[in-house]
Amino acid sequence: MSTLATILSPDFLLRDALVGSVLVGFICPLVGVYFILRRMIFLGVALPQVSAAGIAFTFMVYRLFVGPHPEAAVGERMLGLIGSGVFTIAATLSLALMERSGRERIEARIGATYALAAAVTILFLAKDPHGDAEIVGLLKGDILATTSASLSTMTAVFGAVLIALIVFQRQLLLVSFDRDLAIVFGRHVMLWDIVLYLLIGAVISLGVMSAGPLATFGFLVIPPLTMRLVSARMISFVLGSALLGGVTAFGGFYCAYRYDLPLAPAEVALASALLLAVGTFTGVRRALERWQAA
Amino acid sequence: MGEHLIALRDVSLGYRGVPVLTGVSFAIERGDFVALVGPNGAGKTTLLRGMLGLVPTLAGRIEWGFDRLASPPGYVPQRDSLDPIFPLTAYEVVLMGTYASLPPLRPIGARRRHLAADCLERVGLAALARRPYWELSGGQKQRVLIARALAAEPHMLFLDEPTAGVDREAEAAIIALIAEQNQQHGMTVALVSHHLGRIQSAVRSVITVDEGRVEKLVAAGLAPDAGDELAPWRRGVQRA
Repeated sequence: MSTLATILSPDFLLRDALVGSVLVGFICPLVGVYFILRRMIFLGVALPQVSAAGIAFTFMVYRLFVGPHPEAAVGERMLGLIGSGVFTIAATLSLALMERSGRERIEARIGATYALAAAVTILFLAKDPHGDAEIVGLLKGDILATTSASLSTMTAVFGAVLIALIVFQRQLLLVSFDRDLAIVFGRHVMLWDIVLYLLIGAVISLGVMSAGPLATFGFLVIPPLTMRLVSARMISFVLGSALLGGVTAFGGFYCAYRYDLPLAPAEVALASALLLAVGTFTGVRRALERWQAA
Repeated sequence: MGEHLIALRDVSLGYRGVPVLTGVSFAIERGDFVALVGPNGAGKTTLLRGMLGLVPTLAGRIEWGFDRLASPPGYVPQRDSLDPIFPLTAYEVVLMGTYASLPPLRPIGARRRHLAADCLERVGLAALARRPYWELSGGQKQRVLIARALAAEPHMLFLDEPTAGVDREAEAAIIALIAEQNQQHGMTVALVSHHLGRIQSAVRSVITVDEGRVEKLVAAGLAPDAGDELAPWRRGVQRA
């Protein structure tokens, strides 16, 4: 109980990290629901890795052509964010444009994208003349290094994404659920796809920079998967996923702080435990219903 | 001659530049009930989707008798084309039909919500409004999709095999519902079917699609003893 009181105290040393972690946990599932609904879960694995490749690339280029970057400077995160954003959005748009063409399935392209991104991340790091623990820390997403400045950036970007998701919700649902009907209604489906992918790109870029690929992927996919088991309506599915992500992020932070665990694995493990529990519960309930009906 | 709601002029339709149907010319008049019949793979669905702009027009032109962007047609797809992963109630699916004339950023509003509820009532499913769409029977799902098409307040309904995969009782109910829209509300209907079968008594015109040829065989008043050329479709013969 004292740990909880410490964490909730306004003077808590890691307050910005806690708020940042909960923000990532809340916002990632809001775009992650579209990965589930569009059956593109693998994209949730590949894009954070692409984002990491963008960070490594930007730092490598900067250090090769400009020189060592002052460690822990505010601009360092901005540099990483630019690289992460450009790579993620470019990859997302490329995959979106190729989605409706070619002979191979979209999963094959996403798989190839993941493999390529993982490989070049390591190569970029190897070629970085000052590649060290600091850049590795950025790639892993060191949420504990969150400052009030980076928290402001997160709040602004995630707030803008949240507003866009609310305002465009009807169109995004229509083009995702029944693309043909959207075309019959005269909607520019490719334009709405691009809007969605830009929002996804923005969330993943900032999520990876702040919390790392593991936590970002975990929050993109696991809370929506959990809520899909118990939701009969879109509103409960979307809002429930976001709330579950936020609560899981807080719980994971508590466990990590209380038991001295790495944060991202603690968050993902907690989210997965909830998924397992809800999956088991709904499975048993359905089996009982079938048994009673028989 | 009545007012044309849609007219195809020497149209070719196909995929990736390869035509499936060529030289297609016919018109559908206001108040008509047209059945598009033909064997499997003949191109019935391609023709229907081509009229809706879902399959590219490779040549010729399609003329609409109304502003189809301001007032889009109602569309009932094959129900298996929708993904059950979406957690939607029957009402939420129908509400989607009201998006037809709704600008992207405008709220749905009370009128459209009432319209969606009314359309569900028109298809006899008001009591199931809050039920998850995917828990409904095949026939009920099809009626929900018809309600969604009606919620677009269209001039014309396009239906792609609305009775496929449903039992005979549900099939009869769906056909009665579509016929009611045509006969009592004056809705123009174009419907894809493998054969005339039970829809024969409801339709006013038949368009056959077979081996790349499209013909409008009966212009109006489809009597049971109409031309011999309709015999295969009436019997439901499925030519390979």
